[in-house]
Amino acid sequence: MSEPLLAIENLRTYFYSRAKRAFIRSVDGASLAVARGETLGVVGESGSGKSVTALSAAGLVTAGPGVIGGRIDLRENGSGYNLLDGLEKYSRVTERDGRVVAVEKDERGWRARSEQLMAGVRGKKIAMIFQNPRSALNPYSTVGSQLVETIRLHTSFRGRGEARERAIHWLERVRIDSPRLRFDNFPFGMSGGMCQRAMIAMALSAEPSLLIADEPTTGLDATIQSRVVDLLADLKAETGVATILISHDISVIQRLSDRVAVMYGGTVVETGRADEVLAPEVKARHPYTAALLASIPNAETIRRKSYLQAIEGDVLDTIDVPRGCRFYGRCRRVTDAIRENCAGLEPPLAEVAPGHKVRCWLYPATGKA
Amino acid sequence: MNRTILEVTDLRKDYSQNLGLLAKLTGKTRVIPAVDGVSFYLRENETVGLVGESGCGKTTIGRTVLRLTDPSSGRIVFDGRDITALSRAELRPLRREMQMIFQDLDAGLNPAMRVRDILREALTVHERPGDAEIASRIRELLEQVNLKDSKLANFPSELSGGEKRRVGIARVLAVRPRLIVADEPTSALDISIQAQVVNLLRDLQKYLGLTYLFISHDLPIVELMSDKVAVMYLGRIVEMGLTENIAHRPRHPYTQSLWSSLADKQSIEVSRRVSNGTGQRERRAWGVFEFEQPASGCRFAPRCPLYEQQGRPAVCTDPASEPPLRDVGKGHVVACHFA
Repeated sequence: MSEPLLAIENLRTYFYSRAKRAFIRSVDGASLAVARGETLGVVGESGSGKSVTALSAAGLVTAGPGVIGGRIDLRENGSGYNLLDGLEKYSRVTERDGRVVAVEKDERGWRARSEQLMAGVRGKKIAMIFQNPRSALNPYSTVGSQLVETIRLHTSFRGRGEARERAIHWLERVRIDSPRLRFDNFPFGMSGGMCQRAMIAMALSAEPSLLIADEPTTGLDATIQSRVVDLLADLKAETGVATILISHDISVIQRLSDRVAVMYGGTVVETGRADEVLAPEVKARHPYTAALLASIPNAETIRRKSYLQAIEGDVLDTIDVPRGCRFYGRCRRVTDAIRENCAGLEPPLAEVAPGHKVRCWLYPATGKA
Repeated sequence: MNRTILEVTDLRKDYSQNLGLLAKLTGKTRVIPAVDGVSFYLRENETVGLVGESGCGKTTIGRTVLRLTDPSSGRIVFDGRDITALSRAELRPLRREMQMIFQDLDAGLNPAMRVRDILREALTVHERPGDAEIASRIRELLEQVNLKDSKLANFPSELSGGEKRRVGIARVLAVRPRLIVADEPTSALDISIQAQVVNLLRDLQKYLGLTYLFISHDLPIVELMSDKVAVMYLGRIVEMGLTENIAHRPRHPYTQSLWSSLADKQSIEVSRRVSNGTGQRERRAWGVFEFEQPASGCRFAPRCPLYEQQGRPAVCTDPASEPPLRDVGKGHVVACHFA
């Protein structure tokens, strides 16, 4: 992989759950990177930390204690800087037996520093689209005026007239029909698919270097979904913007991603080229990825009306993080040779093939550990 | 062949929209036909899948056949008995034979009650069993839905999504129903948990002889679960037949586009072609539709690729000829002039 545009390293983001009276380690040591022009798909079930990873990168985590540590390096034109630079000193975590018992954080100091670092980055260099477009659009303002605002703020089109033309150009590019009419529409007058298109236009109109798409097709109808996926595929080819695509829908990830990261329990358990990680026949694969792929009905299971291969047990709640592998409790491929390791020691993310890394004791690293 | 447990004839449900005081005074109303003349039947121990986009009336049908919502017109016959006009009191004994699993995981789970009390309440709605029998029935239910008995003391908020769904199913099974309307039972769940629930529902059907009306927009899961599939568009069934025929030999252009959009989403070859910039995919334009006033004639015509191919024939938009469901063999019915 060429020099990554964005590299997240050992990111940790925690939240406090009042209902459970415990800290949830939503993201707990996640590392991933996306190169220029590349689409990285992030797959995982709910609670795996995929959305929170993205929100952390965009500096949008508001609930406490929030981002605790790690690095998020954004590299541009040869120079790079860490979006979490110097933030580590604002918080201190106390841990006991795999459970976070206390987090002291200077929220004010942290926020002030973070805002300083994120200025000119969020919305401009890193743009985001969310699952529910209707809640991300301002209901009191027309789609056009929201677009114009973004364009005047983030691009060289400062004049009202030219920004307006630019906005219409973007509405056209996301294939909203009769863009000149739609320009004056309020979000409530538009369908869900249309709102998502407007949202995509808004994100891309700032000409970002990185687009984070968090479940862009979830909640849309099947027919509309495939159209939004088409649109994202076309825009990817046209603009070449680097994208982090988050979805639990593996078919969408398969269709749009160059590389994939599979998350489980707040960390990345497998990463590699999409066609390698998600291909049905690859042998070296994390048991979780394999089980996930097997639990989706495919042509064969449907034809034979056979049972789905369910993963027993529940998704790991990241309050009590086990000492060993996070998937150990649900894993069916533990052998006696590695059982001790699985139960007691977290496996490293080891390279099993060029560019393909797996966090599992079944695959000891080739070459150096 | 199994006997028919539910038969629905020409079911209609109109919702009228409140347009405000002025409209009321002038007598102006807006009526939205959510379900517009739907007929189908369910045989015992069989699963019928109901698919379609959101807003097409799937859930309304589910609620109406259980009389959770009153139909505007039509006839619902459950187990040989016309239940369309039964009063609440008359319906009460029938309620235990037909139940609904709601999309919302929390629906039916009182947040202030422990799992044990939720199940106990469900068991004592229709009967007055003794304490010993309640305890044994609760054990049996837990076994049926594969839930640990350590969860009995938990409140719903302490359960995971999959466990909530299991408790919801156990609660439904408590009254020993024969017909279950499952409204998107898996859509709120994670993939690995979805598979568990799908397997569970199929097991229960096998062992308890249940009949399902399975409402979902997840086509692969519908295909896996159902014996027959009915495809709905804007309040009407446009095609219905055996699952494999609907999935692999669809006749109606809407069914075709539903299943092909699934294939599109999955096809990697297509994306490769697009990203290489060679060969633009043909893009079907989807017209905007007005739900309140379906197009005259065939309501799918404004979005229909076949209508375009055929050179926009007048019969498709003729107000006097909305295409009726016609039989094309083996109980496969389709509502299209050309399919």
